[in-house]
Amino acid sequence: MDIKKVLNEATKEIEQSSNQLDLQNVKVAYLGKKGKITGLLKSLKDLSLDEKKSTGAELNQLRGEVDNLIKIKFNQIKVEEINSKLRNESLDFSFPPPNSISPKVHPISKTFDEVITIFGSMGYSVAEGPDIETDYFNFSALNIPENHPAREMQDTFYIDDKDKDGKPFVLRTHTSPVQIRTLLNEKPPVKIIAPGRTYRCDSDSTHSPMFHQVEGLFINENANMGDLKGTLIEFCKQFFNVQDLKVRFRPSYFPFTEPSAEMDIAYEIVNNKIKLGQGDRWLEILGCGMVNPIVLENCNVDTKNFQGFAFGMGLDRITMLKYGLTDIRSFFSGNLNWIANNGFSIGDF
Amino acid sequence: MKFSYSWLCEHLETDKNATEIGDALTNIGLELESLSDYSSYSKFVVATIKDFKKHPNADRLNICKVDDGADTYQVICGANNVKKGLKGIFAKEGMYIPGTQIHLKKGKIRGEISEGMLLSERELNLSDDHEGIIELSENCKNGTSAVEALKLDDPIFEIGITPNRGDCLSIRGVARDLSAKGIGKLKPLKYEKIKKLEFESPISWSIKNDDNSCEYVVSRYFKDVNNTKSPEWLQKKLISLGLRPINALVDITNFITVDLGRPLHVFDADKVGKKLDMRLANSNEKILALDNKDYTLDVSSTVIADSNNALAIAGIIGGDHSGCTENTKNVFLEVAIFNPNSVAKTGRSLGINSDARHRFERGLDKNMVLEGLEYASYLINKICGGSVSKNTDAGKLDTNEHKIKYDFNYFNKVIGLDLEPQIQVKILKDLEFQINERSDNECDVLVPSWRNDVKNNIDIVEEIIRIYGYDNINVSVPSSSKDEINNIENSLVNKKFKTISKLKKTLVSNGVSEVITFSFHSNRAQEILTGDTSLKISNAISDDQSFMRNSMIFNHLESAELNFKKGIKNIQLFEIGPIYNSSQSQENILSLLISSQDDTNSIYKSVNFNFYSLTELVSKLISSLNFDIKQFNISRSTSNIYHPGQSAEVHMGKKLISRYGKVHPLMMEEFPKLKNTYAIELFFENLPIETISRINSINISDSQFQFSEKDFSFIFEKQQNLYEVQRYVTGIDKNLIKNVEFFDLYESKDLGDSSKSVTFRVTIQSKEKTLEEKDLEQLHKNILEKVSYKFKAKIRT
Repeated sequence: MDIKKVLNEATKEIEQSSNQLDLQNVKVAYLGKKGKITGLLKSLKDLSLDEKKSTGAELNQLRGEVDNLIKIKFNQIKVEEINSKLRNESLDFSFPPPNSISPKVHPISKTFDEVITIFGSMGYSVAEGPDIETDYFNFSALNIPENHPAREMQDTFYIDDKDKDGKPFVLRTHTSPVQIRTLLNEKPPVKIIAPGRTYRCDSDSTHSPMFHQVEGLFINENANMGDLKGTLIEFCKQFFNVQDLKVRFRPSYFPFTEPSAEMDIAYEIVNNKIKLGQGDRWLEILGCGMVNPIVLENCNVDTKNFQGFAFGMGLDRITMLKYGLTDIRSFFSGNLNWIANNGFSIGDF
Repeated sequence: MKFSYSWLCEHLETDKNATEIGDALTNIGLELESLSDYSSYSKFVVATIKDFKKHPNADRLNICKVDDGADTYQVICGANNVKKGLKGIFAKEGMYIPGTQIHLKKGKIRGEISEGMLLSERELNLSDDHEGIIELSENCKNGTSAVEALKLDDPIFEIGITPNRGDCLSIRGVARDLSAKGIGKLKPLKYEKIKKLEFESPISWSIKNDDNSCEYVVSRYFKDVNNTKSPEWLQKKLISLGLRPINALVDITNFITVDLGRPLHVFDADKVGKKLDMRLANSNEKILALDNKDYTLDVSSTVIADSNNALAIAGIIGGDHSGCTENTKNVFLEVAIFNPNSVAKTGRSLGINSDARHRFERGLDKNMVLEGLEYASYLINKICGGSVSKNTDAGKLDTNEHKIKYDFNYFNKVIGLDLEPQIQVKILKDLEFQINERSDNECDVLVPSWRNDVKNNIDIVEEIIRIYGYDNINVSVPSSSKDEINNIENSLVNKKFKTISKLKKTLVSNGVSEVITFSFHSNRAQEILTGDTSLKISNAISDDQSFMRNSMIFNHLESAELNFKKGIKNIQLFEIGPIYNSSQSQENILSLLISSQDDTNSIYKSVNFNFYSLTELVSKLISSLNFDIKQFNISRSTSNIYHPGQSAEVHMGKKLISRYGKVHPLMMEEFPKLKNTYAIELFFENLPIETISRINSINISDSQFQFSEKDFSFIFEKQQNLYEVQRYVTGIDKNLIKNVEFFDLYESKDLGDSSKSVTFRVTIQSKEKTLEEKDLEQLHKNILEKVSYKFKAKIRT
């Protein structure tokens, strides 16, 4: 009968449609108001009840099948059209990007952050002092009198401007004046670290006219030299990330501490690189000691009831040791290649 | 300080080897800086070049036949002093060469076998000499070890002496300290006093200085001496320390300075007057010193003088004119005690670093004055002969020993270690302190004459722990208390460091790299940036580092130029650090520089960076600290750092928060290679950072109801600050106006020179309902009327 023929015809026409418009025309030709299938359905009214039933069912099935075929074809055409459009939009994935410097944080910043965090976990808050200091705070109050040979342990920069004692201002040679400033402002107990810039007139691969130090000060009723050792060993273990750390404290001299010590860390050379923690060679890390009672008295601290310790360490130096850097001058050259190679990205900061 | 093992052993009876002594020195605070121990060099032996011929494949190399007494070897050698019969030091294959840090391998050099190496001084770490191989005298026997042949059997110690330990600036002092540590026993000094002091000294002393710079001086006159070259033992000793032997009299004084730490001086008695004075120098008094330099003195320096001339600068250096030579027949020996302070001051102002000054300014053992005099007399008399006068002196030697009342418990409190009084007393006695025990807890300590650094209880504690050993101190880690954690949380400085970290993160994630540059800048920078002239560094290392910076901009332009020269085209850098307004005003700021050069990449075209991109970055920085740039007053910048038409300043009240803009073309003239350069300065310390926290961040209202947008165009006066307009419009209805965004700016001739046309979009949204058309229209009308009235603006249609 006609139905099969109509289906064959419709299927053929749908297949042959190559765009949405053609397909729409096919749809109208079969399923539109005046379409072939619609016409067949309309002609049902002339049939008998039985014929209506059986033919009607067949016609409805035919309509459904054609409708479905059109939908499938429609989707095929749409996908094809998008694909063809995308083919025209194709870009050259293989064109390489320009070289760019990867932005980084300076290694010293990373060290500052770690030092503040590690000592923070031990209860040390951060204190500050100015870079341009008075002679009194940088030297005399720290028990370094004028003409004392200890002054020559540090080559000092002077500023033309003079302080109220008529002495030229100095660029602080160490962070230790922050001890004095803090003790004059706060009553013990005091537990602070003071990281910052320091200056000495010296310049070679291990000395820079500007460098960084961190000062530590802990004053209470009974902080003793055992506490000093423990605190510094703990810091070094955490900072250098070495649990099994061989250290040595040896007697030294700083006018502002007594007894004074220098702390060394053991190291060995493995594959031409410094490995910290073990071995039979020693690297000096820091100077420390029990705060000299003379210094406490200069700050009006009651030495009958209060005592404690102080330490100072070179932040550039411990950074160089930790990351195997060799020339301190490159730290301050502003060379972005150096920063990109040796700095830290956000995730590591 | 330098000394040899054998010299030390003249003062110290010990069975310890050099390494053990070195460790002990470090442990008692006399830090071993180097120990040259050559015992491992015994494997290298003396060998003779029997014959040699040119290497067939290399012009500069020779093939040598080398005999080490046991065997002959073929050695390829490149040294230029190769000759038949030369005796040198030979290393066989497999041996480690200390100077080059390699193990010798048997192998072929340009096709010829080499079975070892003849060594240079550098290869043995003896010197930097690499001119040729070592040449030994002909009477060295083949097979003799290098240690013997080169006389390397006496290890040399070099130790660091801290400024408090003047007593250890002598080999005897070091030996004494070692003996207290139990490293050996101090030997008595071996010398004989002169039996017959035959005559009165024809030269006499008077002390005329009124500043007590000379406490005491004593002398002897030596008649008819024969000042020759020193005996070999003395020359060898001086050479071992790197000192050059001169003549016996001078060598003796140098020897005693090192051996006993007692500087003394010999005058040629025929070149000085009969009456010598210790006096202050006259102003502009001149002296030619033994270092062959002329010095001009001032009235603060003490000199030794006769009636005509200054003969020596007291405690520092002798004069050239009155020095002893090999022709000296009569000698005047001077031993004195000078005030450490005045020696230090004079030495520093003249810039003379002599061995004498080094010891005088650290304080001398007063009991060593007469002992030094005797010891020197003994040596002069023994080596140079002649006869010796009686003492002639001036001043008074104060040898009162210092007494300290010491509390044994103090040690335990400071060190955190219970050390019984007997042990403390034993250590002190080993150090030759005298102890009178008063009670179980206390004693009187009498300090030995050479330890003028020991003045109070804490010094005694240090002496005890120094010898007892820092290694024996118990380790404890004090835990952090609640109060301390509170302190940290409330600390403004801690908050500031957090702020700094935030800024760094924001900048790095926006592609800017962190640099750290010196706190100094150049003369030129100072001129251009008109900094405070009192910030000049008096003793600057160079012109580039001659002022404390009042801005980082110059340093950053220099960095940018350096990076540009390295081929980096897109430079973005920042620094957080100090700038100095005066010697008493320092602030930490953020300074950022962006310099983007011509971009030739036609595919990856970066957006052209301009003033507005900079403004956006400033806004991002400020909001990373939970502030909103709209909260602040923003105006044109008057700073001479920036382009006057492309810069702005952000204020909070009177406080400057930020300055930014295109760098002033006049400044860029110093950096002609850099183009398109912008900078930001953020004075973050002026922000109320104590209140910075998440709670204070701006509350952005979030509503679920429909929003509507409406664009407005006005013609404003050209000078109109649009931040003001923005703030005003937002305030017209705070509940409904959610956002005011400017998106177009138009200036042209038809508008006239004094006008600008600006378009902004207002976002309107209620938190309570979807707004009806009539509400919106009312608000639109309101905005139009109020803005045009308030700012005298024309509505553009």
